[in-house]
Amino acid sequence: MNQTVVSYLSQYEFYDVLLAAFGKNEGLLAFAIYLLGGVIIVGLCATIGGLGTFAERKISADIQQRLGPNRVGPYGILQFLADGVKMMTKEDVMPFTADKMLFYLAPMLALVGVFATLAVLPFSSGLMMADLNVGIFYLIAISSLVGVSVFLGGYASNSKWSMLGGMRGASQIISYEIPVTISILAVTLLAGGMSFGTIMSHQRGLPTNWFIFHNPFAFIAGFVYFIGALAETNRAPFDLPEAESELVSGYHTEYTGMRFGFFALAEYIEVFVVCGVGAALFLGGSNLPFDISFDIIPLQLLEVVIFMSKALALYYVVIWIRWTFPRLRVDQLMAICWKYLTPIAIFNLIGCAVWVVVFNGKSIAELIFGH
Amino acid sequence: MMGLASYLIISLILFVIGITVMIARKNIVAILLGIELVLNAAALNFVAYSRFATNNLDGHIFSLFIIVVAAAEAAVGLAIVIRFFQIKETIHVDEATTLRN
Amino acid sequence: MFAQFLFISSALLTLGGAVAVLVTKNIMHSCIYLLASLIGIAGLYATLGADFVAVTQIMVYVGGVVILMLFAVMLTGGKDFVSRAQNLLGLAPSMGNRWTFSVGILVALVFLATNIKLILNVSKSIPAKTFGNEFPSTVNQIGHLLVKEHVLAFELSSVLLLGALVGAAIIARPRKQ
Repeated sequence: MNQTVVSYLSQYEFYDVLLAAFGKNEGLLAFAIYLLGGVIIVGLCATIGGLGTFAERKISADIQQRLGPNRVGPYGILQFLADGVKMMTKEDVMPFTADKMLFYLAPMLALVGVFATLAVLPFSSGLMMADLNVGIFYLIAISSLVGVSVFLGGYASNSKWSMLGGMRGASQIISYEIPVTISILAVTLLAGGMSFGTIMSHQRGLPTNWFIFHNPFAFIAGFVYFIGALAETNRAPFDLPEAESELVSGYHTEYTGMRFGFFALAEYIEVFVVCGVGAALFLGGSNLPFDISFDIIPLQLLEVVIFMSKALALYYVVIWIRWTFPRLRVDQLMAICWKYLTPIAIFNLIGCAVWVVVFNGKSIAELIFGH
Repeated sequence: MMGLASYLIISLILFVIGITVMIARKNIVAILLGIELVLNAAALNFVAYSRFATNNLDGHIFSLFIIVVAAAEAAVGLAIVIRFFQIKETIHVDEATTLRN
Repeated sequence: MFAQFLFISSALLTLGGAVAVLVTKNIMHSCIYLLASLIGIAGLYATLGADFVAVTQIMVYVGGVVILMLFAVMLTGGKDFVSRAQNLLGLAPSMGNRWTFSVGILVALVFLATNIKLILNVSKSIPAKTFGNEFPSTVNQIGHLLVKEHVLAFELSSVLLLGALVGAAIIARPRKQ
């Protein structure tokens, strides 16, 4: 049941060669593979997070008919490295009245919560770190560490703006977890399992097999998930915790240098993670649109490319939304969550359950074209 | 090393620390923290027995229900704490001397 | 080897967090140490092969209970109150003093002494089993158990949660006197 990257790689011949090189010690080899995979995935996602800041500035410039950053490197693509260097060399200021331990802990917790979700993110059918039985549940659970970190960042700074931002952030994150989780539950119901492997194997083939086109309820659930995910990652139009027009910049007002950088990096990586989860749950994940029976590593890399392109397309939509819609008020935010999204999500869950019973789990396409 | 006894000892120490927190603290929120520790110690015991002593998963179910009850208890308890603070403007447990209000 | 590493680190996190909850004087830090302790317990569940319970533990406590506690601390004044209780009211300070701690530790020692003997007997009477590294998935079985054998408790717990939700909302609502 527990598919991991190690058990996937162990079907190939070079695994034996590696095993011999490690002196027949399987535990050590598994550790090495996990270490390498972890470094690769964290590095990759940190780069994606860094490029996210660049993409945000470039796309916003495009929407507002500006040029955007264009000095560092070709088309300004190395801008994020310049920003990183700038943050590294800045002075690390801590407010005099701050709670020292919590002030240091909060950015770390944000990064830990986000990086821990990468362990189950399904980049392809074979090359994911671990296909846990409780994969999606684990992802939802561990990413709530970000909520704690937002709250602590707000509290520890001992400043009014931070405090208000942290309170808003925590209440927003725990409120929007409910519609998001119920929407994900609808998908779990359709797939009959919580692991990403099970969920993606049910969406194999043409886009008509994707869960977002499975039935009308799942279609709505996809949109509920996306809206809730925007709110959970504190993205516009739900970026009330860091609303720069009312709170200076919310829970990270008092953070400077790399500590601020950690918060920003965690936010951008989390956006990528929720986009990836949306792609895996509703848009077919890393499945190829045609069936290939042979199972080789380049095919896995092709799957990674497909997954990345879906996730990054969603990432573009997220940024596009940010520069299109105005920000909500706090009461509107909570009203959307509790009065609209949560009832809709519960309705979707019941609808999906009824659909599975009535049509025996068949999707619309299967009912129409009948195969 | 990873036998039943080690889990039971961990759970016992956790339970004892929880009891001590509950008795030593005078802040109602801190007392609730102690209650969480005690409940978790009990849940850990159930899961440990379910793995080492029986072959079914009833212990897991029990510990899930303990988690549910702990969540409900925390929600209601903290609501009471906030209401108490609105009335008395303190959350010292020795201040809770009247039944009215 | 990994299982042992996970077990030792989880146990240290659990007990260290719990001890820190006991000794720290700051209620906010206390909540954070409780968070560490609860995550450690989730790790212990993972070493016992209880994947679903472990994740539920993280989900409920990290995402819910601890944030709720932090909110409650924030809404009830936080650490300003400690000095006030010491100086004006003449009660024991809210995070305890020497007397309360000594009473607590006394009770704890009595409890410890009575239970150690029980645990030693139990671990003798239950034979040691040996397990491989295989952990079968518990998700399906727990799902079946919840809607078959334990369906009454399951429904009752949902009623309990609804009652707690409504009750908490009614109790905490500010009222004009």
